[in-house]
Parts: sequence; C-alpha cells; structure tokens
Amino acid sequence: MNRGAVIKRATILFAFLVWVLGPISQMSANRSQENKATPAATAFASVLPEEISGWKKSRADQIFGRENIFDYMDGAGEIYLAYDFRFVFVREYARGNAPSLVVEIYQMTSSEDAFGVFTQDLDADEVHVGQDALYAAGLLRFWKDRIFVRILADKETPEIKPVIMKLGEMIAASVLQEGTRPGLISALPSEEQRPKTLRYFHTLISLNSHYFLAGENILNLSPETRVVLAQYEKEKSRARLLLVEYPSLNQAEDAHGQFAGIYLKDKALPEGEVQSQKLEDGRFSGILRKGRFLIIALDAEALPLAQWLFQETSQKLEGKN
Amino acid sequence: MKKTNKPRKVVTRRDFIKGAALGTLGVALYGKGGNLFAGSGPGVVSFAAENPQSTVVLIRNEKAIGAGDAIDPAVVQEMIDAALKEFSGEQDAAKAWAKFVRPDDTVGVKFTRCDWMRVHTEQPIIDAIVKRVGEAGVAQNRIIAQDGGLPVAKCTALINVPTVKVHTLTGIAVSLKNYINFSPQPSKYHAPSTNLGEIYLFPEVKGKTRLIIVDMLRPYFGPGPQINPLHRWNYHGIMVGTDPVAVDSICLQICQVKRKLFKGEDWPITPPPDNIFAADKTYKLGTSDPAKIKLIKLGWDKDLLI
Repeated sequence: MNRGAVIKRATILFAFLVWVLGPISQMSANRSQENKATPAATAFASVLPEEISGWKKSRADQIFGRENIFDYMDGAGEIYLAYDFRFVFVREYARGNAPSLVVEIYQMTSSEDAFGVFTQDLDADEVHVGQDALYAAGLLRFWKDRIFVRILADKETPEIKPVIMKLGEMIAASVLQEGTRPGLISALPSEEQRPKTLRYFHTLISLNSHYFLAGENILNLSPETRVVLAQYEKEKSRARLLLVEYPSLNQAEDAHGQFAGIYLKDKALPEGEVQSQKLEDGRFSGILRKGRFLIIALDAEALPLAQWLFQETSQKLEGKN
Repeated sequence: MKKTNKPRKVVTRRDFIKGAALGTLGVALYGKGGNLFAGSGPGVVSFAAENPQSTVVLIRNEKAIGAGDAIDPAVVQEMIDAALKEFSGEQDAAKAWAKFVRPDDTVGVKFTRCDWMRVHTEQPIIDAIVKRVGEAGVAQNRIIAQDGGLPVAKCTALINVPTVKVHTLTGIAVSLKNYINFSPQPSKYHAPSTNLGEIYLFPEVKGKTRLIIVDMLRPYFGPGPQINPLHRWNYHGIMVGTDPVAVDSICLQICQVKRKLFKGEDWPITPPPDNIFAADKTYKLGTSDPAKIKLIKLGWDKDLLI
C-alpha cells in the first residue's frame, strides 16, 4: 500500500475511533496494560504501520494511564500528571542491528495541555509536523489538537531520520483538526520575547522544573491555575515574566499576599499597583495583580524592562477578568 | 480565622542568591558571577583540599567511546583499575579491590537501568566491576548485579554504580538517587528530594556501601523528564569515591558548567538538588564543601569542565 493510501486509511479510522470512543478510551487507559483490548490502543495502533522501511513492530503495544504512568517512566510521571494527561500509547520498532524506534502518543484532555507538555523542553530545530514540532538527534516531538507525540531513535542515522519524520506525518495527518493554544499566551507581550522560552503549565512541580522560585507553593498553583512563563530581552537587558490566571479573585489575592510577604518581604500593594524591588543580585523582581491575574517580573536586569512588562501585560489583560 | 500575610520561613530563590541556602551548592547554582562553588572562602582552591575529608578520583580516556558511541570494554576496565589504584594507594589492581571487598562478602552491584530514560550504566562498566569482585575471591553466586529488586538485605557489601542525569524532580541523579529504589516508596523522595539521603541510613543499607563508581561516560545535562539526545554528551569519564555527597557535588558542578556552555548563558539546574546539601548537613553522609574535597584528575583533560 502506498503512503498516501496508508495515511488516508489511518485518518478515517482514527477520526472515527476518536469521535466514537473518546470517553471510553479514558476509562481504558485507567486500567493497567490491557492494551490489546482497549479501543484507544486500537485507534492508535491502526494509525501506525506494522512495518515501515524495514523497521517492524518489535513488541506488543503498551498503554499507560494516570494510575500506572510510573510503570512506564518511574521517576518522571509526575511531570505528565501535572497536566490533563489521559494516557500514553507506546509502539516500538526494530530492524536488525539498526537503531530501534519508540513512538509515544500522549493523549491529553485539552489541546492547551498538549501544547503545554510540548513546551517542557524546546531545545531542537523547528520542523513542520503537526502544529509545532521540533527535531534533533533522532528525536521528533510535536503536538496537534489533544495529542503530544515523541518519536525517538536509539541513535540518529541518515537512514532513520526519514522514517521518524514519516511516522510523525502519518500520526499528524490522522488528527483531523487543530487545537487551540492556551488563551493566556495572548496576554504576553509578543515583542522582545526570546525564542523558545515560552512555557505553559499549571502546578508548582512544573514551575520548579523551569524556574525555582520557592521551596513551597507560595503562588498557590494548582491544576486549576493557568501559568505562562517566558523570557524577554529588551535593550540588552533580560527578564522573566510569569503570568498566572486563578479560578477566583480570592485565590489571586491570597497568592498576591504570599508572594509579596514571602518573596518580596513586604505587604502587598492594592490591585493595579506595581510593587518591585531590587534583590540581592542587583536584579529586579516585582508583582502586579489585575483581578484574577498575577503578573510577576523576575530577574529583570533593568527596572525599565520590568516596568515595560507590567505595562504591556496589564494592557493586554484588559477585559479578560 | 482571619488570613494574614505575615512572612513565614520558606526557602526561596533569594536565599540561594544570598548563599543562605544549600551553602556553596546554592551559590554555585544561583549566585551571580564568580566561579562555581566559590563560596568556600577567599584563597581556597575548590576540590584541592590538602587534608581532605573526602577524596574522589576522576579518570577520563578519549578511547573509552568509539564510533557510534560504542564503549570499549578493555579501556573501561583499565580506567576502573587505574582509578581504584589511585584511590586506594595500591600499585596493584587486585590489592586495591581487596581493600573494598572480602571473599566472604555478598556484593550487590547497584547499577542504573532506566528503560524509558535510556541513560543506563554501561554494561562494560558493570562487567568490569563484577569481574574484579570475582577475582577478589567473591563467589559468582554472591555477586548480585542489579537495579530494581536488588536484595539489599542479603548483601554485606554494596557497590553503587550510578549514571549522571540532571533530573526534573531531584535536580540531579547520581549516587544518592541511585538508591531510591531501595525504598518501597520511591516517589516519596521526589520534589522535594531533601530526604533522599535517609535511604543510605536504612538498616539494610547503612554502612554497606564500600565503593561508588560513577559511569560518567555519557552523562545527561538536560531538563528532562525524558531524554533529549541533544542534552547528552560524551564526557569519557569514570569517577571513584566512597563519599556520595562529594561525588554528587562534583557531578553537579560538571553538569552545571556543561549547561552553561550549551546555552551560552546561565542555565541553573532546577529544582535545586537540595538532597545533596541535606545528605551532608542532615544525614551526615559526607561533604558538599569543595574546600574539604580532594579531586584527583587522571587521564584525558580536554573539556574537563572542572
């Protein structure tokens, strides 16, 4: 069967199964590794070929849900559980002495969180697969709609790279629609943002994996909070911007008070008033609350940059409360 | 009850900047300017203690890794022998090994095998250790080389053989983290990982670690949680010591320097590996102070990073 026919067949089957079996697949993922029997496994398994360019499926497909993700990645499942992860489908390929391949398809509940997981590590070259994709040294990562995909070769060879890309394209083509990025991103200044520094997440464990602020959850981050973190450079000065959206005004007020008290060691100022300080390393940090949103500037090498970040973000948040 | 904003004692980034948290480790990770681990005081050359509390040997060999990242077992064996001779002060490898294992020991060789992460202890290193332990007179049926499920209670001696990984949840994973699966609840030691050192003091573990031999052939310096091959590099090293805190501190510094080189700017390891500092100050497992550590460097010195 030629590649076009494979993609077409896979697309139709996958779209149908996702439409029909979405809720069922979540239940299935929450059961251990009953991968042979789950509709979710069937859907993903149908998208992927049994053989591609001589690489053959080398073991039974596996599927891991929220309850048993640690069986697959003991020591790192927490990072996925910090998002609305539902399950991961794993397919492995081997071809003689050639490097083996593993395909991981992470099914998330929302496209926002598929994007968020994708932003965990952005070191690689941009390629065109799905909605955003990165490739380097035998690892392809991309997201599209509610899935995040990793395809990894044991070693990169000239022969294996096209296979990785082809598999990625097949999976991406099987997802018919594109998903939305987190709306909170639109509140960030897009000018002066440093490339590949945008992160989207919810909880403390993710924040700490990108930037250590405190040993405790002083910002009251939770699965219900939406957080973006990005780096900026303007007039040769750099800074980080952390923007947090809380589900309620009370939660934002509480976190505002904690950040001011614990980090800035000061009493929180009223809503709409910028509070910043020059810290021990000569850099500036500060906070501004705008309704349910906290705008936090960190490690700003110049005060004007921090002020610019507050002003720009605050303006973009107009009408979002 | 009315909420107040009264400050409570929480370790923050500011404490690291000021050097008030994790001692020299904190300064190394988050201090502005200066050399890593520069908090040991003026005039002190890090890792050059004349009367060391801990000694660590780092050996590197360009030929340890060949084409396609193939590991050369013979070179690895030579490296381990040379490092152990230096560490023990013996001229002969057999005599050096005899200082750490006895014929009546049951020896657990605790390596790292993490399928999903793929930063394993290289098999030639495991094989070299098992071979020498056997030659020291330990019967093959009493040499247990394993990762998960190692029957630690049955062992009278342990050789800790970790890899080096910067880790999303513990900051870094080397010799302290390698014992995490001696606990029935490994996730208890993730984020925060401060209490990781207590595993060394479990009754079935305490006092059994005779040697730490770190696989530094191909360490991982990226953020994870899963491998990005861009963040792995061929360092060609093996490290030998007995102090897990000193060993982990040195690996931390090497990874931190590598991260800075990779990004061309500061890229602090996060979350802070507070388990190293706690292993020193709380659990008294060794020293994280570079002024009290003597690092002996052998072999290839290109891109040593320390």
